[in-house]
Amino acid sequence: MSTPSLLALLVAVGILTFLYRYAMIGLFARHSLPGWLHALCRHIAPASFAALTASALFVTGGEVQFAFDTPRPWAALAAVLVAWRTRSVLATIVAGMAALYLLKYLVF
Amino acid sequence: MARAEKTAASEFLAGCRDEAPLLLGAVPFGMIYGIAALAAGVPAWIAQLASAVVFAGAAQLVIVQMLAAGAGALPIALTSGLLNLRHMLYSASMAEYVRHLPRRWRLLLAYLLTDEAYAVAVLRYQRREDAAPPADLRHWYFLGAGFTLWAGWQVSTAAGLLFGATIPAEWELDFAVPLTFIALLTLLLRERAGQAAALAAALAALALAALPYKLGLVAAILLGLLAGVWTVRRLEHAR
Repeated sequence: MSTPSLLALLVAVGILTFLYRYAMIGLFARHSLPGWLHALCRHIAPASFAALTASALFVTGGEVQFAFDTPRPWAALAAVLVAWRTRSVLATIVAGMAALYLLKYLVF
Repeated sequence: MARAEKTAASEFLAGCRDEAPLLLGAVPFGMIYGIAALAAGVPAWIAQLASAVVFAGAAQLVIVQMLAAGAGALPIALTSGLLNLRHMLYSASMAEYVRHLPRRWRLLLAYLLTDEAYAVAVLRYQRREDAAPPADLRHWYFLGAGFTLWAGWQVSTAAGLLFGATIPAEWELDFAVPLTFIALLTLLLRERAGQAAALAAALAALALAALPYKLGLVAAILLGLLAGVWTVRRLEHAR
């Protein structure tokens, strides 16, 4: 792709992304949120992060792969346990990466 | 007035502080994006500009991956447009908290409304009222969280572009991204409906993984929302 078309593409995606972000707090800010939409919004964060996590752990190139003979699912499990016990983002990431390295060099 | 300024500053700093741990997930992501962009033949200045203009990690990674595969502009725009649709849902979620602010504030906060800033800011807004300062200065907290992630994203992109080829793949720093999502998810799973939404979305993301344009991810999130609403209804009926 030529540099001008690449630039145009990125600016277009940037404007679209900003419009998404500004839509409800700017463009339609005078409209109050319908009740059903408000009810939906409580679940946006858990649904989004769960879908992104499942996809990151178990989807490779559009195919589902449960690779339990590799360290990542087990390191993720260790991270879940640490997250549940500590409720700390920092501790979860450190524990997950440590588990990944340990499993990689000791087990797999 | 001096007292109010101090409170605004402390809210801003509290936002920076609470966002900081999330940089552990975002910074490797930003560096990986920088490395992948160079590998896809994107000029460094355009890759850096994209981090400021698009400012959405997952979409930026999808864009460089598709560029590397030789995809055209239209499929790339459609895919990132779908992938970023969730930001409109974040915007709706934040609307009730920032609706009263002047437009310049809402433009600025909209620009900073990423996954990570949303996750931290929404927890601040949902905290019990007695924890809030007398005057509502929580937009300063939102700004602190958003700015911290923005700065980390720009710097980590630059670092990825600078040191690109020298970071060994064996470090598997990309794994910090799902770890960040796991940590945030655990914080958000306090109630039954949220758990149902998360479970349904995770299963649907796997079941629909083969759908083109990353449409499966958007559909999975929508199905998760339905599961959450359905669970709330069912619990109300049982009462």
